[in-house]
Amino acid sequence: MARDKIYNEEEFPSPLQQLWVNFKQTNVAMVGFYGYIFLLLLAIFSPIVMPYNAMESNLDLLLLPPAWDKLGNVSYLLGTDSLGRDMLSRLIHGATLTFGLSFIVVVISLAIGVLLGSLSALTHGIKSSIFNHFLDVILSIPTLLLAIIIVAILGPGLGNTLWAIVMTLIPQFIHITHNAVKEEFSKDYVLASRLDGANSLRILQYSVFPNIIEKIVNQATLAQSAAILDIAALGFLGLGAQSPLSEWGTMLFSGLDLFYIAPWTVYLPGLAILFAVLTTNLVGEGLRHAVKMRKEI
Amino acid sequence: MLMFTLRRLSLFFFTMVLLSILTFSLRYFFPGDMLINISGQINANAAELKQLATDYKIHESIFNQYWQYLTNIFQGNLGLSMASQLPIKNEISTLLPATIELSIMALTIAMLFGIPLGFIAAIYHRKKIDNVILTFAIVGHSIPVFWLGLLVILMFSIQLAWFPSAGNISLLFEIPQQTGFLFIDILLSDNPYKWQAFINALSHIVLPASVIALAPATVFIRLARSSMMEVLETSYIQAAKTKGLSFIQIIYHHAIRNALIKMIRHIGLQFANLITFAMITEVIFSWPGIGRWLIISIGQRDYTAIQNGLLVLSVFIFVVHIITDFIYALLNPLARGRRYDA
Repeated sequence: MARDKIYNEEEFPSPLQQLWVNFKQTNVAMVGFYGYIFLLLLAIFSPIVMPYNAMESNLDLLLLPPAWDKLGNVSYLLGTDSLGRDMLSRLIHGATLTFGLSFIVVVISLAIGVLLGSLSALTHGIKSSIFNHFLDVILSIPTLLLAIIIVAILGPGLGNTLWAIVMTLIPQFIHITHNAVKEEFSKDYVLASRLDGANSLRILQYSVFPNIIEKIVNQATLAQSAAILDIAALGFLGLGAQSPLSEWGTMLFSGLDLFYIAPWTVYLPGLAILFAVLTTNLVGEGLRHAVKMRKEI
Repeated sequence: MLMFTLRRLSLFFFTMVLLSILTFSLRYFFPGDMLINISGQINANAAELKQLATDYKIHESIFNQYWQYLTNIFQGNLGLSMASQLPIKNEISTLLPATIELSIMALTIAMLFGIPLGFIAAIYHRKKIDNVILTFAIVGHSIPVFWLGLLVILMFSIQLAWFPSAGNISLLFEIPQQTGFLFIDILLSDNPYKWQAFINALSHIVLPASVIALAPATVFIRLARSSMMEVLETSYIQAAKTKGLSFIQIIYHHAIRNALIKMIRHIGLQFANLITFAMITEVIFSWPGIGRWLIISIGQRDYTAIQNGLLVLSVFIFVVHIITDFIYALLNPLARGRRYDA
């Protein structure tokens, strides 16, 4: 950073800024990051970007192969499915449903989980101990199993699966926040601000949170890749988004009958899920690497 | 070790109590009539319902209900499946072994491939091989398991016709059920075509087990890599180096053992994940296991099955946890002394 120092003022970047500086240095992580931003933009602007309506069927053009096939048509770049719906539009709409909703799911569970986790870190004694064991029990049950139980109570459907996934992700955020806050509270700088007369909430807000945010963001990327896979898996099992919706897992399932005649109806949604999870994982990997680099300096 | 055992067992007991409270409370959340949901008797008349109400102590206090619930579990009285009207206990005793077999097979495959690859990556840290293995680990971790299952079926069952795509044994073989574990049953049976049956069952399990194994294997690669790297930086490895031992000697005699011990704990923790993948894979490969049964039960609104399936699968996972914890403590004296804290 070539910057003229006029004043003798030293500037310390916040932990988040340092993280970004380190993050930028890994190329693979940046590729993942651009992919992630691309998906996010696609999810937000899907109604504008879609060439056709994702739900509209065109009975003249059933099972049109992708454009690179001999029988393909360039105006339907990725072909059509068994009801003549444009695959590209459906995949773009699916970005909103699978990727966009997984993002929202993670944001909601992050907010609730961090709140509960930091509150639980401030309590002591038997209450906190029981709470912790309860969390351990919940955390050891596979998330999909838990989601299935919640879907069984609420009934199948996209909205219900989203709530189910929120509920399975919350304990993970509580756990990570609880441990991180506990760890920070035992450090000297917290003691220093406590001696300055700050109360627990103030310490939490100004001293602890800026220092644990990287752990939470890291957990958020893990949670999102799990959320994408769970939404798609529940869609695939017929418990999540129902058929006309172009959620990627549901699309994959409805293409299953025609797997041999029209393999692209199965390949493409699968590739889309793979791409979404891969970019999320690359971002997460880059974050972990950046945190490690900062700790080593 | 005694203290460790006691502490672990009390924790296990506590966990079981919490889990049973969780499954017990499910009865208040499921839609429909509670009594029918927990007993599974959908065709009961008024007199029978009355009898059921006294059996399950529905009209008594919640503590009595809970106590009755526990008593029923220990007596093996889990009610009837609402879909098939067969006792849940019998269904589970045939389905759970199939899932256990599949998941143990998958775990073995994941360990056999994941751990050595991780060690190799750590030994060649920041070289080309390391990068290749890490790339494989990240991509393998991101593939949705149901998609992978379909591709594998298309590739190996249909195009190459190497392995069968559904079920756990060909219907030609008649294997009497004794333990429920198919492989053990085959060996115990006096069928003259025992070995053909064994090979057949083996060829059925290869594909689903490999599909389940991929994601845990990638996790093992990364755990093995980081634990090996940690071990290679310790002072006893440095000491071995200064003694003049060759690199191969150091790896074989000192590093691998210590890195493996660290892995054992993670294997237990990964198990819950593995079960998730197994549940989806069972659906794709029509594996007669408990995961597929549970997912079908949701479509059929079979609440008795769902409630008990959750209980059985979770108990299975906790038992695996505690077993790996004990193995870890037996092998690693450092873990026994450490105070447990959550």
